[in-house]
Amino acid sequence: MNRFVLAVVSSCVFAVHWCIAEPDTDEQVAARSDVIDFAGAFQNDGFKIRDGNYFGKVSKDHSALVAVNLYNGNAYWFTASTAEKSEKLKVSVFDEAGNPVSYEPYQSGTRAAAGFSPETSGLYYVKVASEDGQPATFCLIYSYK
Amino acid sequence: MVSSERRDWTRDVQLINCLHMPLLRKWLQLSITALVSSVSALAEQQPAANAPAPDKPLSAEELKSAVSIDALTVPTPGEFFKAIEKGGKPKWTSEYRPPISIRSTDRAQMALNLGTLIADGYIAVEAQDGQQVKNVGKDVLALAKKLSVSQTVLARSASIAQFAENNAWDQLNEELEATQNEVKKALEENRDTDLITLVSVGGWIRGTEVVTGLVMQNYDAENAKLLRQPAIVTFLKTKLAHLPDRLQKDPLIQKVTRELVDIQKMVSFPADHVPTVDEVKELNTASAKLTKEIGVSE
Repeated sequence: MNRFVLAVVSSCVFAVHWCIAEPDTDEQVAARSDVIDFAGAFQNDGFKIRDGNYFGKVSKDHSALVAVNLYNGNAYWFTASTAEKSEKLKVSVFDEAGNPVSYEPYQSGTRAAAGFSPETSGLYYVKVASEDGQPATFCLIYSYK
Repeated sequence: MVSSERRDWTRDVQLINCLHMPLLRKWLQLSITALVSSVSALAEQQPAANAPAPDKPLSAEELKSAVSIDALTVPTPGEFFKAIEKGGKPKWTSEYRPPISIRSTDRAQMALNLGTLIADGYIAVEAQDGQQVKNVGKDVLALAKKLSVSQTVLARSASIAQFAENNAWDQLNEELEATQNEVKKALEENRDTDLITLVSVGGWIRGTEVVTGLVMQNYDAENAKLLRQPAIVTFLKTKLAHLPDRLQKDPLIQKVTRELVDIQKMVSFPADHVPTVDEVKELNTASAKLTKEIGVSE
């Protein structure tokens, strides 16, 4: 497990610098606006949107993986959206060893989500993948309650 | 007249045909049976066609490519506190601490304390204590001034006070998170990027002290399991290890780094282990000690 944790952490500093240093592009702004609109649906169900996001690029051959730390007892929705209309996104959740966990999937064109309630606190991975199309910018956020 | 004649004729002919032509009747029965079977088979297949393909385990290569970012990987104190509320409303006021006064000019210490104070803000919100929210808001503003990020906090502190006045607790939670993010953004704009890490470290340590304190008051296995957070400490330690030399030499940063090693061991237990009361107490003592050391004026 330590190997996995170290692998994640080794890239964290670069990721933080990348996220902070790069100004938002039009695609990022559009993706963020859409994903916040999308996640708004969960707010009606008592979920609180976390004020933080991750921008990445996905294509059929390249998915993105983000490490998150979750608490047992909380319920989470991970939502992703892309401004590129041809994209077909998928969001999935894995445990700290990289094994798939049971989650509630949602997929609708440029938007996708995964609902998950962990039984164990700790590290999880959220994967954003695309089933078709050219490389596209996506925005990932999460909500919890 | 014409229409009624036609209707009668048609009905009679059909009745006669169905009743007196066994072959046609049998063919109709078979056709209907086949149609019903096809439709139900199609209906069974439909959800399967729409369901996403089952996920394969992540490869070592994929795990290596995983990114960790402060904004998503490190949970906010509010998120941590939300989890402990599932077992019943804790006695949040019991986790208040006396106001801290930072006379030191050590910017690293100020950043660490800013993180602990923001966590205090979440405690006051959970306790639904408007006056305490305002008190903490003033302390946050005072520290923000010293770190030259007061303009950002000033605008937020006005709305925090207003929300506290109106008992708008949900909005207050959001304002606190936004304040923390805007402070980090302002630090980045001031080229104080390294201090961002310290705000996160301070917030997490104070959050751990509070949650362990609450678990000890009313021990419950589900709440004790919340303390399993090995990856967060690994993430924070790695970020501390990447701080520039001048900060690495800061005695307080050295102390924090050293003590995080011990804390990491306490929060790194197997998924099926439930921390005992003594283990929770040990973690509480360690995080409370570190919070105190961060808040001590030189």
